[in-house]
Amino acid sequence: MKNILPPTAMSRRGFLALTGAVTLTASVSACAVGGNASASGGSTVKFWDMPWGDKNYTDAAQSLAQAYKPGDGMPGVSYQQVNWDGFNQTFSSAIASNTGPAVSTGGGFQAFQFAKQGAIAYADNLIDSFKKDGTYDDFLPHTLDAMKTSDGYVGIPWNLDVQVFWYRKSILDQIGATPPQSWDDVLDVAKKASAKGYVGFGISGGSGNYGPMAVLSLMINNGGGLFNSNGDLDIVNDRNAEAIDFLTELIKQGAVDPGSVSMKDDDLTTLWTNKKVALGFQSPAFNNVVGDEKDVLVTDPLKSRRGEVGGLYYVNNIMMYKNTPSQAGSEAFTSYYIKNMKTLWQKGVMQGLPALKSITELPEFKANVQNTAVVEKWQPICKTTAAQSSALTAKLATIDGGQAMTDFCQTVLAGKAPSKTILTKLESDIKAAIS
Amino acid sequence: MSTSVRRTEPPLTVRTPTHEPRNRRRRSSPGRAPATKLFLILPSVVILILTNAYPIAYAAFQALHNGSLISPGEFVGVDNFAKVLADPAFWRAAGFTAVFAVAGVFGSWIIGIAIALLLRTRIPAKGLLKTILLLPWVVPIVVSAMSWNWLIGTSSSPVPTIFHALGFGDAIFLSDPLGAQITVCLFEIWVNFPFMMLMMSAALSSVDESIYEAAKIDGANARQQFRYMTLPIIAKPTYISWVLMAIFCVNDFPTVYLLTHGGPVGATNTLVVLAYKTVFQNFQTGPGVAIAFLMTLALAIVAVLLFRQIRKSTSQ
Repeated sequence: MKNILPPTAMSRRGFLALTGAVTLTASVSACAVGGNASASGGSTVKFWDMPWGDKNYTDAAQSLAQAYKPGDGMPGVSYQQVNWDGFNQTFSSAIASNTGPAVSTGGGFQAFQFAKQGAIAYADNLIDSFKKDGTYDDFLPHTLDAMKTSDGYVGIPWNLDVQVFWYRKSILDQIGATPPQSWDDVLDVAKKASAKGYVGFGISGGSGNYGPMAVLSLMINNGGGLFNSNGDLDIVNDRNAEAIDFLTELIKQGAVDPGSVSMKDDDLTTLWTNKKVALGFQSPAFNNVVGDEKDVLVTDPLKSRRGEVGGLYYVNNIMMYKNTPSQAGSEAFTSYYIKNMKTLWQKGVMQGLPALKSITELPEFKANVQNTAVVEKWQPICKTTAAQSSALTAKLATIDGGQAMTDFCQTVLAGKAPSKTILTKLESDIKAAIS
Repeated sequence: MSTSVRRTEPPLTVRTPTHEPRNRRRRSSPGRAPATKLFLILPSVVILILTNAYPIAYAAFQALHNGSLISPGEFVGVDNFAKVLADPAFWRAAGFTAVFAVAGVFGSWIIGIAIALLLRTRIPAKGLLKTILLLPWVVPIVVSAMSWNWLIGTSSSPVPTIFHALGFGDAIFLSDPLGAQITVCLFEIWVNFPFMMLMMSAALSSVDESIYEAAKIDGANARQQFRYMTLPIIAKPTYISWVLMAIFCVNDFPTVYLLTHGGPVGATNTLVVLAYKTVFQNFQTGPGVAIAFLMTLALAIVAVLLFRQIRKSTSQ
């Protein structure tokens, strides 16, 4: 090989020296990268955020973060958007490799999960400062308590995802129906709508979280849920079985799209946008998402066949991590973000409800009359995934969006198995997942 | 294929009389040459260790602990393996992985070799046809999966609509466990047959045409020529393509995940999808990594069996 090299080619000694230098440089670089990574982005606080609203949300949230002016000696902030698809993997991998954020929004139970794993910086100092400046009293009832664990506050609530029941007025007008107020009304309206070629009751079990959230909403609506008041799993009970039986009835009456088992959340939203769906559970400001503020409206909380009302909500929070260039810097930015986040609702880019009462009173928020209905009628009667228990824990992160709930929802939507059998399987799957 | 490679291989060294003595002199100093060689391969070895051995060793560590991605947890021995092996979901996923791999390997091979044989004949616009046939393999899998989803995903998608119009009722393929399994297998075949077509085309190009002429004179029909001449001649590249495709199929995450997320009710969970869900949705790192190890073990056994076949076919 060497024989065909031109005479001016590098000598063997020179080649070895170069190779050694390159190897050494690479090793040193690798060490340098590791050192940097552990400092969470050097001198800036890395803020990771999820897409919480419409297509203009990211720009608005990024502007809000970038408008932050750190105090003397405090680090600045960098903003990064993280997609919901595979977000658990994104966060877990980044935190495991010390390249994760210093502050982030994220899944409703993510803070509990990472707190259990020792990665969360508790927010007690920040809460104390909120008590002093009055911000503490501005949080909606129960929202701060939902973040409290025996070791401290794992995060600061900033928006609430309430699962409310929506209807498309034009479809109901066409079939001569009024907005449903009970499960029996839902069945009646959904049957009439599907007879006219619409999807009576819209639900998607294929991917994402809409389907499991809708089923759980009905279970909590009927006074059931996944946990009892002691915080123990309590799934196989009559209340939950009645909720499943109600869904099965809707399916058997042809009020649910036969493709719901595999329908993806985006496909369901598209069906709503295309004016094909009459009824269904969705998040607040869903009428903005489908671009139809006047025709897609919120019902009052539904009465179950037992006469109960109730619903499901998530307390989404901003969490701080131990891997930060400055804990004081993380707290200063989080405090700034909470106190200035009203701009997101003023710009109308948010889908969830604000966790601060003062924002719910803004004229821009009230301009969407459906928002007021959600705050006044739905939020007070909603419960978290913990259902009858008030304690949120790391195990809820495993349940929410986990395999067990997805399989459960798909089995329900298949409409073939008896309700108690389905619930028994769910209980066994959840036990296995959280053991 | 190997023949064609040999045929096109350029000479690596140019031996001239003036260089010969110098080469001999270098070989006569054994103390320096091995050290130099070792030094030269050292960077590659280091990179290999960092990119392969370390993750494998750390995965083994995780499989024996009850930790998470962030915290190592406590040593639990083989409990994770025992837990996984006792889980019916693992065996369902293993069964479907086997079906998926067999369908993927032989489905894509049958179509691939059929098209490769067709392309040996004189057909018009052969170049354009080859390019079009390569598209499923060239187009990013995300785009393909979205296209398939659009075609079959909901009751208002084009294919179910056509089926409905033809009187077949509601044909929502991805909502029915068996329908979803068949769809996922068909998608895998559709994505991979161009690879098999290329492999088989390369293999067939090394077959001397004159032997077919001799066979024709001896009275062999087309089927006999294919069965007793073509297949044995291309046996080695065929086995190699099977090994490669089996590895592709067993490790194929995006095809299943993008199309069905492993559903409905876990019907299309393959082992790699189950491992992903166990680690990243159920946050059970130890069992998830244990699934990956068991999957690798099964794949290694299949690969060894196929390599034995390759050696056999070579010796024949």
